[in-house]
Parts: sequence; structure tokens; C-alpha cells
Amino acid sequence: MQRREFLKGTAFLSLAAALPGSAWAEVAFAPKPGAWRVVDLVTNITIEKPDGKMQAWLPLPSVAESEWIRNGETTWTGNTVSATRVRDPKYGAEILHVTWKEGEAAPVLEVTSRVEIRDRAIDLSKPGKVAPLSDVERKLNLEGTALIPVDGIVKQTSDKIVAAVDAKSDVEKARAIYDWVVENTVRVAATRGCGIGDVAAMLKTGNLGGKCADLNALYVGLTRAAGVPARDLYGIRVIPSQFGYKSLGAGSANVTKAQHCRAEVFLEGFGWVPTDPADVRKVMLEEPPTNLAINDPKVIAARKTLFGAWEGNWIAYNTAHDVALPGSTHPRLGFLMYPQAERASLLLDCHDPDNFKYALTAKEVKAS
Amino acid sequence: MRQSATKLIVTLFGAACVLACPLMSATAGPSEAPQTTIPSALKIWSEREQSPFLLDDLHGDRRDLQAFAGKVLLVHFFATWCEPCVSEMASLQRLATTTRGKPLAILAVDVAEVDLRVRAFFEKQPVDFTVLLDRDRAVSKSWDVTALPTTFVLDADLAPKLFIEGDLDWSRPDVLAAIESLYPAADRPREKTTSRE
Repeated sequence: MQRREFLKGTAFLSLAAALPGSAWAEVAFAPKPGAWRVVDLVTNITIEKPDGKMQAWLPLPSVAESEWIRNGETTWTGNTVSATRVRDPKYGAEILHVTWKEGEAAPVLEVTSRVEIRDRAIDLSKPGKVAPLSDVERKLNLEGTALIPVDGIVKQTSDKIVAAVDAKSDVEKARAIYDWVVENTVRVAATRGCGIGDVAAMLKTGNLGGKCADLNALYVGLTRAAGVPARDLYGIRVIPSQFGYKSLGAGSANVTKAQHCRAEVFLEGFGWVPTDPADVRKVMLEEPPTNLAINDPKVIAARKTLFGAWEGNWIAYNTAHDVALPGSTHPRLGFLMYPQAERASLLLDCHDPDNFKYALTAKEVKAS
Repeated sequence: MRQSATKLIVTLFGAACVLACPLMSATAGPSEAPQTTIPSALKIWSEREQSPFLLDDLHGDRRDLQAFAGKVLLVHFFATWCEPCVSEMASLQRLATTTRGKPLAILAVDVAEVDLRVRAFFEKQPVDFTVLLDRDRAVSKSWDVTALPTTFVLDADLAPKLFIEGDLDWSRPDVLAAIESLYPAADRPREKTTSRE
């Protein structure tokens, strides 16, 4: 199936290249750094059937990149007995850790974070002077994680992709892997949450279906294995797309299920470059009238744009992997993008709304 | 581990033979083994014995792999998010029902999921066999499980015999026959096997 998809994708790509200019011009998906947008992201948690020791962990927006995201104040209210901002020592991911007293009849928490965001677009034809990554940052963004190894089948696959197009520079390698992920993966609507991101299992089984945490993790793993620093950014869509892509923005102020991870690749002369192959597959699956072909103008536009640019309608929480929840005995999480909570020392299922009630809302506010 | 196992199979039998040859090395020993055809999906697994483990079951009780010695054992790694695992779980239950009273035990090992999610899953789809929780993937890693579902078949001495990566209908007669061929000699159904000369 993989090979068939690959060949199909290649054929479509050739066809797309032959499309007249008017077809390309039908969709204008052109994010450009411009005005900042200010968003209040509010998370509400209720622990139902309270029992025993109860605590919760919320990811806080903690990616600070002055070109496209500025984190403002975070405040919270509730009936907790403790609330502590904790920083993951390896990745710097900030977590709000709260506890309730045993016997609390109705444990609740509301957290509000103000974040400023704007579009990104990198012109990959014009390298500039950009500080290289520090040795520590480079190592961090090249190494494997528990679910994203960069050796074995990941390395073998990466080498094949790079060799197939004779990619030499980091830009060529990153682009080749982006194209390969777009052409060979598939978004699966039935995947729970945003997926698991078990990259080696995906490659070994040939099941390259999933959602953003799977598809963009695959991109990051393959890119790291090619020796090019890359990272996942776990976050949430907060406002609709200004470019008409229903599938690439928040559908309403209720963003409880709008979690989305994107990816970046570090390219010399450009710095961290935004990319999102998973969203190209999302456009194919979900953009009306749905199940678009890879040569549909909307898909072509998304594919062209999402290597080097993305829209500032999304907030990044963190870039962390293998996250330990402070105060919990639960094993490390592959990533922290959803609220987490424990009742009677058992972690609740963040994808089970019947048993773990939380809601996220996002509201754009006027910049002061 | 299973990459090596696959190499071994290829070396000894050739890839085509693996799909069709009679069960030989997967039985207790040539002199006492019945001649049973292995379903093509099941691969012969004759490498080193797997690491023992202690894992919590769904009720929080610690369970020891060694305690299951004396029975043929299916160690089945799965997750509730894995679509093929869900239908396969039903076939494992059919196998458990069919083999009730026989020397066969099934251990379903959930990989890296929240306890409550696994409990909720089995409340909706109860099974008769033991479900264990590999919360930190330590056991699945030590058993070199890289894809779900993956199932290992061990004999009554907990020696490795068969494995499969991917799902299988465990209630199929040919699969049942392959499992029965691993029973201790006294428990093997004679009518379904042919003793080797």
C-alpha cells in the first residue's frame, strides 16, 4: 500500500506541475508576518466523582520565539490547595501542577493564559545571518526520544528518502522528507486524540496512518535521522483560518478538541523553519468537500505553503517529549498537549470526556 | 529479536518453506512431537527465552510470568487504540472459551495506556483471561515488541515457540491445532494429530 501511495503521489505531483497558472492562483494561502493577534486561552477542569488524592497538570504556553509567539500572563482560580508552575528540566516545558485536598467535594480549576501570535513565513531562497544552534540545543533536537528513535528503521528510511532525490543540503533533505511524508502518510479520522507518535512502529508495520502527533513526529524523526535538527511543537488551534481553510483553524470558541502539533526544522541561514506535513493530509481528508486529491488546488497550496510558513492562529505549548508529571508515579508521557489529572492516584483518560471533564475556550482580544 | 528470528527461519527453511512446512522446531522435541501444520501467519520463534516479568493486572495484583509455567501460554501485546487489537481480543476470548479446562493460558498485556482507559475497555468487552498493564513499556521493550498487536506463544516450560506480528483469528481450527500441538503430551488431542514415525 505504501508503495502504491508513493507512486500515486508522485504521479499526482507530476500532474500538478502541469496545471495551468490559473489553477494555482485559485487558492491564496499566504501567511505573512504582520499584526500580532492576542488570544485568551481558558482551560476549565472538573474532577468528577472525587476520590482520594487528586491532582492535575496543565501545559502552559512556554515556547517563546519573539518573531511569532509572545507569552503573556497566566492566572488561575479554583479550590486547589496548591498550584505550582513547574518547568520540565530538559525542554523547558512549563506545567501548572495543582492539588486538591482529600475529600474536596467538587474539585475545579480555571486557568487563563494570554498569548500573542502572528503568521510566519520564511523565504527559503534568501538565507540570512542566523545564529547557529548551541551545542546543547543541537544535540537535543537531533537525538531520539522514547517514541521517536533516530536509528534502526527510522535511519534506514531517512537515508533512502534522501538518497532517492540525491539531497545534499539540509534544505534539500528537509524538503525531501516533507514531500515523502505528505505523499506516503494518511490522516485517519478514527485515531484517538492526536495519535501516539510511535514512529518506529509506524515504519515497521507500514501503517503510516494517524494524526498530527503521528505524522509530524514521523517528519521530525526522519529529519533528525538525516542529521538535521527538528522538533515537534505541541499546541492548540485557537482561531479560524483567515485563508478559508476550515480544517486548519478553530471551528468555534470551543477549542476543547483543537489540539494540534506542528513541526520545525533548523536550517542554516534561516533558523527554525515552520512546517506541517500533517496539515497537508488534514486538508486532503477534511477540507470541503472532503477527501481531496493530492492535486486539488487547495492541497497544492497547503503543501506549498506549509514548508516554510504557517498561520498564526495556533498557540504552542511546548516542544517536550517523555514528560514526567511532577508528584505522580505514572510513567512519563510521550508528550504533554492535553490536560492531565489523577483521582485516587490513578491518571484519568484525557480522551474520555465521560470521566474526565475539561473544556478549553479561546477568545481573541484587542491588542492593547 | 524477531529480526534475528526471521533470519534464522530463512536460513533453516527458506522463506517459502516457512509458509508451508510442518511444525517441527516449534514442538517439544522431534521424538514426541505430533506433525501439525503451522498456520502461515504464525512464525517459528526459537530464539532465546524472553525476560521474565512482574506486572500489575487490572485489579492491581502483581502477576509473575513464571507462575504460568505448566501451560501453553499466549502473551499478547495490545492497546485499546489499536483497531485490529479490538477484534482480535474477541477471537482470543473465543479461544479461551474453546480451550476452557485445557492447559492453555492467555495473558493480554496492554502497552502504555492509562489504567482507567484499559479498565473501561474491558468493562465493555469482558474477557476471561488475565489482562496486565505494561505502563512504561518496559516489558514490551524487553520483549522487542515494536508493533501492536504482537503475540508470542510459549510452551509449558515457557520456552519460545511461535510469534505473530499483526492480528490473527485465534479461533480458527488450524490455529487451535497448532496451539494444541504444544500441549504437554498427555493433553494433546490424538484425533487431530498424526504421530511421527
